[in-house]
Amino acid sequence: MNMPASKLLRMKPRSVACGAMLAALSVLALPAQAQDIEAGRQKAEEVCAACHGKDGNTPIDPTYPKIAGQYQDYLEHSLLDYKHDRRKNPIMGAQAKPLTRADIRNLAAYYASLTGEISNRR
Amino acid sequence: MINKSLIAAGFAAAMLLPCLAVAQGAAPAQEQQAAQGDAEAGRNKSATCIGCHEIPGYKSSFPSVYYVPRIIGQSARYIESALKAYRKGDRNHPTMTAIAAGLSDRDIADLAAYYGTE
Repeated sequence: MNMPASKLLRMKPRSVACGAMLAALSVLALPAQAQDIEAGRQKAEEVCAACHGKDGNTPIDPTYPKIAGQYQDYLEHSLLDYKHDRRKNPIMGAQAKPLTRADIRNLAAYYASLTGEISNRR
Repeated sequence: MINKSLIAAGFAAAMLLPCLAVAQGAAPAQEQQAAQGDAEAGRNKSATCIGCHEIPGYKSSFPSVYYVPRIIGQSARYIESALKAYRKGDRNHPTMTAIAAGLSDRDIADLAAYYGTE
């Protein structure tokens, strides 16, 4: 599948168009996976806040991550990995096990909606 | 005979005790040192990290597609524990597992100091 650079360059506008179409489609697809930020907030206060801080930004232990403002799909992926023991951590495994798929989606949406201290820019 | 060997054993124990005490005293200090990373050294080791973690909106493409997490501003201790979990196998991601496998405790401490906060 090696492609000369010139060909890749020529493909670029089309890729951009594809990306835009995908983005549009994903927006259309959103209602199918409805997320409820308010439900997420309630669950967060019940389950997560004690360790990650009420704002998701002030964990009680420095080895615990700040989760406010983290990417939604990464948070979702992490919780699913904990739930299914793909990411091994006794505390998070126990916390994630009882969460439903909807809980996880809502929690991820809630924490991603907060403003956090973490970023990808130095 | 018995008395002599007892005395010898006692003498050996007496000589060893201070060594043990020193070794025990030194261990926490070494651990502390390992946890104290050098941010500048971390910057020099960050070339592998930049391409994913310093590009806003960058997604990992394998094995599943999701945004590469934001790590700048996490606590240094969390970054350290995350990298060690990848190295140990408690966390699995093909790219991160491969990268963490090549990192020493020193590298991890330096990277944690560079990307993380106190």
